[in-house]
Amino acid sequence: MKVAAYAVLVLLVIPIQIVLLDRLSIAGVRPDLALVAVCLIGLYWGEVEAMLAGLALGFAQDLFSGGALWGNLCLKPILGLMAGLASRNLVNLSWVFALVLMLGLSLFSGSVMYLLKSFTGPEASFFLAARGIILPQACYDAVFGLAALKLIGLWKPHRAPLTALTYE
Amino acid sequence: MIFLQSIAGGKRAVILFLALLITALLLLPESRQEPLLALGRHMAAAVSVPLHAIDTLNQQGEALWTRYLALQGTRAENQTLRQEIARLRQENVRLRETAAASTRLRDLLELKERLPYPAVSAQVVGRDPSNWYRSIVVNKGARDGLAVDMGVVTPAGIIGRIVKAYDRFAIVLLVIDPNNAVTGLVQRTRDEGIVEGTERGLARIKYLPLLSTVKVGDQVVTSGLAGGFPRGLPIGTITKIERREAELFLSAEIAPDSDFAKLEEVLVVTSPRESAQLPPMPFPLQPPAKRDAGDTR
Repeated sequence: MKVAAYAVLVLLVIPIQIVLLDRLSIAGVRPDLALVAVCLIGLYWGEVEAMLAGLALGFAQDLFSGGALWGNLCLKPILGLMAGLASRNLVNLSWVFALVLMLGLSLFSGSVMYLLKSFTGPEASFFLAARGIILPQACYDAVFGLAALKLIGLWKPHRAPLTALTYE
Repeated sequence: MIFLQSIAGGKRAVILFLALLITALLLLPESRQEPLLALGRHMAAAVSVPLHAIDTLNQQGEALWTRYLALQGTRAENQTLRQEIARLRQENVRLRETAAASTRLRDLLELKERLPYPAVSAQVVGRDPSNWYRSIVVNKGARDGLAVDMGVVTPAGIIGRIVKAYDRFAIVLLVIDPNNAVTGLVQRTRDEGIVEGTERGLARIKYLPLLSTVKVGDQVVTSGLAGGFPRGLPIGTITKIERREAELFLSAEIAPDSDFAKLEEVLVVTSPRESAQLPPMPFPLQPPAKRDAGDTR
């Protein structure tokens, strides 16, 4: 059941990203739905599932991108791992934590993508990339992710933290 | 006799008297009627108060009837009319959209007929899933004859080249992406160079000869030497020339003729070198898009 749900997620997220999210772009910048999905999976279902979902989503994203076939494939599982680890010992998933986490992970993702592009393609200005893509996308991802988190929270509250009593 | 007797008695006598009085008054000349009119004015003033009140009540009642009670059907009619307006608006939008699509497709068809090379028309279905590359997804793929490195054009000029071709879809890297490179030449001076995208979403032609007389406003077209484009397709207009010291070549910024934000239908040139006859200019150039231009020479 869970595998089917993840398969549906992978099959839906990238087409939505390609076809529909252009309508939500602000100054040409769109939220990265795959990044948001991977972070939320990490927050809710742990790092292993987030890494696997990140692998599939990253690969699907690279398939339909004009860039190389490995950038997102490598990056998205790492983001899933980080999101999963960050929420591992989390007692209470507050919206501030989720916002900061997604902002930080998006900034990290953007910086790594910039480095990958700089190493493999023509020289690019980090300042221009930060101002034009990395920062706006991080803000957009964080807000978008928070909205998605609230929606998920309506039907599935965050997992209960492990305490000493849990083991007894 | 019986008639006269009946009149003479009781109330009937009063009635007869009044009738005669009224008849007499009517027969009076107008000048003699003034006292009567003066008397009547007071009476009319007294009567006009309830008359006015009754008239107001009547008007209000009529208004109540016409505005509310008699409008039972108007609500439904209003709703029907609103639905009709909404339907007509939708139809209007659909017709406008059809007209715009018709114009675009006609231009595309004209271009396809003028191009002396086989071309496949495709529809743009999406954009790059990341913000890092400027590419589009088209709804034709390998099963329609598309392959990697084929050139993609519109009536306004070249768009980019295919970098990934799947069965039903293909990814087109736009000419304004820094990772894309196309051979181009300045139409007026015939100087050749490499056109590649810039981070600002424009294009730049590099490796122009240092002694080139290229100037702002010159049109850049494809040279047809390499890549998937035939010769002579418009790329853009030079907006800025960059001369740097200690460099052996000139480079110039180009404002592309195509509007990459509004791409809907494109043509993929499937075989740019099938015909040996290269036309001097396959189709008339469209006016270049307005961009910030400045000569820095």
